[in-house]
Amino acid sequence: MAEQGRYLYAVCRGLTPAAVDGIVGLGGRRLDLVAEDDLVGLVSPVDLDEYGEEGLRRNLERLEWLEEAARGHDAVVQAAAAIAPTAPTRLATIFYDDDAVRQRLREQHDAIVAALDRVEDHEEWSVKVLTRTVDASPEPVAVLASGAEYLRAKRAEQEARLAGDRDAHVVAEQVHEALVAVVAASRRLPPQDPRLAGHEGTMVHNAAYLVHRERSEEFVALVQGQTEAHPDVVVDARGPWPPYSFAMLDDT
Amino acid sequence: MSSPPLATPTAASPADTQPIALVDLLDRLLGTGVVIAGDVVISLAGVDLVELRLRALLRTVQEDS
Repeated sequence: MAEQGRYLYAVCRGLTPAAVDGIVGLGGRRLDLVAEDDLVGLVSPVDLDEYGEEGLRRNLERLEWLEEAARGHDAVVQAAAAIAPTAPTRLATIFYDDDAVRQRLREQHDAIVAALDRVEDHEEWSVKVLTRTVDASPEPVAVLASGAEYLRAKRAEQEARLAGDRDAHVVAEQVHEALVAVVAASRRLPPQDPRLAGHEGTMVHNAAYLVHRERSEEFVALVQGQTEAHPDVVVDARGPWPPYSFAMLDDT
Repeated sequence: MSSPPLATPTAASPADTQPIALVDLLDRLLGTGVVIAGDVVISLAGVDLVELRLRALLRTVQEDS
């Protein structure tokens, strides 16, 4: 049997073994709780062949493997976040044994507690603003009489698109300003690569919002209001999710 | 002419939670913008040992699409 490591999914507070009964870890492996003081680490065994330095280097570049790992990680985090304050770890945070997990929980105790305090009873929502794609030149290029006309048309089209993007940035700021009124925190993420996200148009805003559970409906209503107020852009809202963007445990 | 789906949330109860798109999940699980920038640090036994380049991942996605 391959050497085993301990995969840490998240650190929670007030989680009992009974509460995680039925939740399984990556590869269908058993989920264990590693307690230290008032904190509990959610861990499961993983083969170091697959999750050791060598294996990760190889596997993280395989999209299928990466997706399976990310989905498995997310499933555990979602289940935990539904029942207790939860601070997720980065994908593939692996320790040699439970003592190393406990040591990490001890060393980072205060930072973890602060993160859990921040996200307790809160959820994350994603809101993106995208430009609507306009039909490219209504006139087929072939009917343009000259090269000069063609270049002029191309330039006009490009300028129109740039102006559209500028306007969309302004709209995105308005959307953001409206939403922050009811959120506990917000974080801007870089626009996503359309090759990965598969969107059309320009992503002018990609942000995460931390919303108290009791204000979810208010937040959703605000998003809907903004969608209606700005028909010229696409307001793409998703959630609620575990508070990944606001409690990620990170060494850096 | 198709626009991205307008995914306006319809309810806020956990039962209606939408699955997270992989790209959104990776944005969060690997660190901000990491898939595009191409860097991720893996923690092994409390020491950041491995710095990985994920440009190959981007390549894979492009080939798939």
